[in-house]
Amino acid sequence: MTTSPQENTSVIAAQALTKIYQRGREEVRALDAVSFTVARGEFTAITGPSGAGKSTLLNLLGCMDAPTSGTLRLDDREVHGLDERARTELRRSTVGFVFQHFGLLPTLTVEENVVLPALFARRSSARRAEMLLEKVGLLHRRTHRPHELSGGEMQRVAIARALINEPRLLLADEPTGNLDSATGYSIITLFQQLNAEGLTVLVVTHNAVMTAAARRQLALRDGRLADGK
Amino acid sequence: MLTLVLHNLLRRPLRHGLTLAGVALAVAVLVCITAFGTGYRQTLRGELDRAGLQMMLVPTGCPYDDAARVLKNNTLENSLPASALDLARRDPAVAVAAPFLMAALPRTDTRRTDLWVGLDETALPLKPWWRVTAGRAWFNGPDEVILGADAAALEMRAPGDKFFSPETRREFRVAGVLERSGTSDDSIFFIPLATTQAMFAQTGRLTAIAIRLKDPALVREAAPRLQEIPGAQVVTMTEMMGTFLNLLGAVRTLLLALGVIALTVGALSVFNTLLAGVVERSGELALLRALGASRTQVFALITGESLLLSGVGGALGLALAVAGGPALENLVRPWVPFAPAQTLLALDDRVLLNGLALALAAGALAGIYPAWRASRLSPALAVKME
Ligand SMILES: Nc1ncnc2c1ncn2[C@@H]1O[C@H](COP(=O)(O)OP(=O)(O)OP(=O)(O)O)[C@@H](O)[C@H]1O
Ligand SMILES: [Mg+2]
Repeated sequence: MTTSPQENTSVIAAQALTKIYQRGREEVRALDAVSFTVARGEFTAITGPSGAGKSTLLNLLGCMDAPTSGTLRLDDREVHGLDERARTELRRSTVGFVFQHFGLLPTLTVEENVVLPALFARRSSARRAEMLLEKVGLLHRRTHRPHELSGGEMQRVAIARALINEPRLLLADEPTGNLDSATGYSIITLFQQLNAEGLTVLVVTHNAVMTAAARRQLALRDGRLADGK
Repeated sequence: MLTLVLHNLLRRPLRHGLTLAGVALAVAVLVCITAFGTGYRQTLRGELDRAGLQMMLVPTGCPYDDAARVLKNNTLENSLPASALDLARRDPAVAVAAPFLMAALPRTDTRRTDLWVGLDETALPLKPWWRVTAGRAWFNGPDEVILGADAAALEMRAPGDKFFSPETRREFRVAGVLERSGTSDDSIFFIPLATTQAMFAQTGRLTAIAIRLKDPALVREAAPRLQEIPGAQVVTMTEMMGTFLNLLGAVRTLLLALGVIALTVGALSVFNTLLAGVVERSGELALLRALGASRTQVFALITGESLLLSGVGGALGLALAVAGGPALENLVRPWVPFAPAQTLLALDDRVLLNGLALALAAGALAGIYPAWRASRLSPALAVKME
């Protein structure tokens, strides 16, 4: 297998990433000087107890929030210091996001949900939506509404949606948290498949199978990385 | 994007339905009020134009009010001498000088007061809208009466019938019955001028003289000359229009204030609905941001909702105005000074378009804050969404 030089560049490069929330007069140091890199094509699991700062980290990586201090590079572009508009632009083009609660819009069909991010990015997407629905095995459900689907199916739709704008990075916050273990397993398999096709995947999870499936684990505790390998 | 807007509105049918009803009502009221003012002006001018009058000679006193009363077939306390008529007819600029004598006759058997109007042939060219449904349009002798549509219905008389007035002990023959005109003419008993003068002991007296000039442009030249006629005062139609519109002004201001209040309430209801929707869907809106929607796009989404609400509400309001306007007009008519005969509602394209534009503007305005609130939602909230 030949490796092109591009494959060595990191998709995520975080340096002393810190997020402090202001809760009344109290400061909550949700993320405390976290440094790590994720190379292209890696499958990483982030674990840690509740309140460790996992979601906070994912929000920063997904350009949904600005860090209090520290630097962050995504796909070789500096994120820290970007304004709201530029972060939206970067989020749109670089990151796909999967949520614990699926986050499908109940009034839209499966297909409409999938193309939504492309709509915001003003991309054409019909062919790609079809391809992605095929890939997650739900093409026959394209005109259904979310409430007609099982939890596992909803999460598959959400994954197809996350991929519609061809992101470099797939972020997921406890994607199996609302699923039974068998259904969760099929989602884990899907993540593995996507990773095998070259997608960089970063998953916050409590699921042991998911953690094992990931080739790298990062453990967060009290906003710090325990062992950043 | 449009389906997204539409679906969101359809999701809360009751709330959005009520808002639509509110907006529709507000727009209907506002449109009716605007249409009403415009219509009043138009029909008034039309009525005056059709009569082809340029001025009116009335007894000295409170001239504007008198002239207005005469035009609406109301009686006056004082009167003009018949000599004024000869003087007016001798004026070189005058084409037609038509004398009128009006008298109110309280009925002893009922509580009604009948209005009798005496006129001569010279009045005919000034009432081009006079048409009879039955009988003849003019008197064949001194004891003939032409009845307004309502008067005929009330007295249950048809042409050829005898008609006795107990209070004046006079018997008439019905010459004709007028077509319903919606004007005050409908309830009037028209008889020859000389008969009126005899019947009400007003020999040689007149209530007013309506004057048509040979050329409308002669008004400025003729008015001072006619003003010289003893006991008479000239009121031009332009002056009278002004008086009408002034009298209407107060009513209009009141109605307009009502309309503005209605629209404000409508806008507030849009505001309330949208804000509730934004708060309720904050997780969902944050999700859209997380999926790559910009602040502008979220702002546009909510603005789209407000425009759709106010636009559809406005359109319903226009339909409501067209359907229910006449009923509203009847409600308002009693308060209108000297209401012209025809409908006062001029629901033309311009009035309707203005109404819709106003609704959209109010909706857009009402949507600004909710849309701004929505656009400020952090995409990070999406993670917490159920
Ligand atoms: N918007 C916020 N304002 C204030 N404090 C916050 C906010 N978001 C998170 N926190 C705090 O930051 C800390 C880390 O929260 P975070 O949601 O990242 O934890 P987590 O690891 O995802 O936990 P869980 O496993 O329960 O989801 C917690 O103490 C939390 O209370
Ligand atoms: Mg979390």
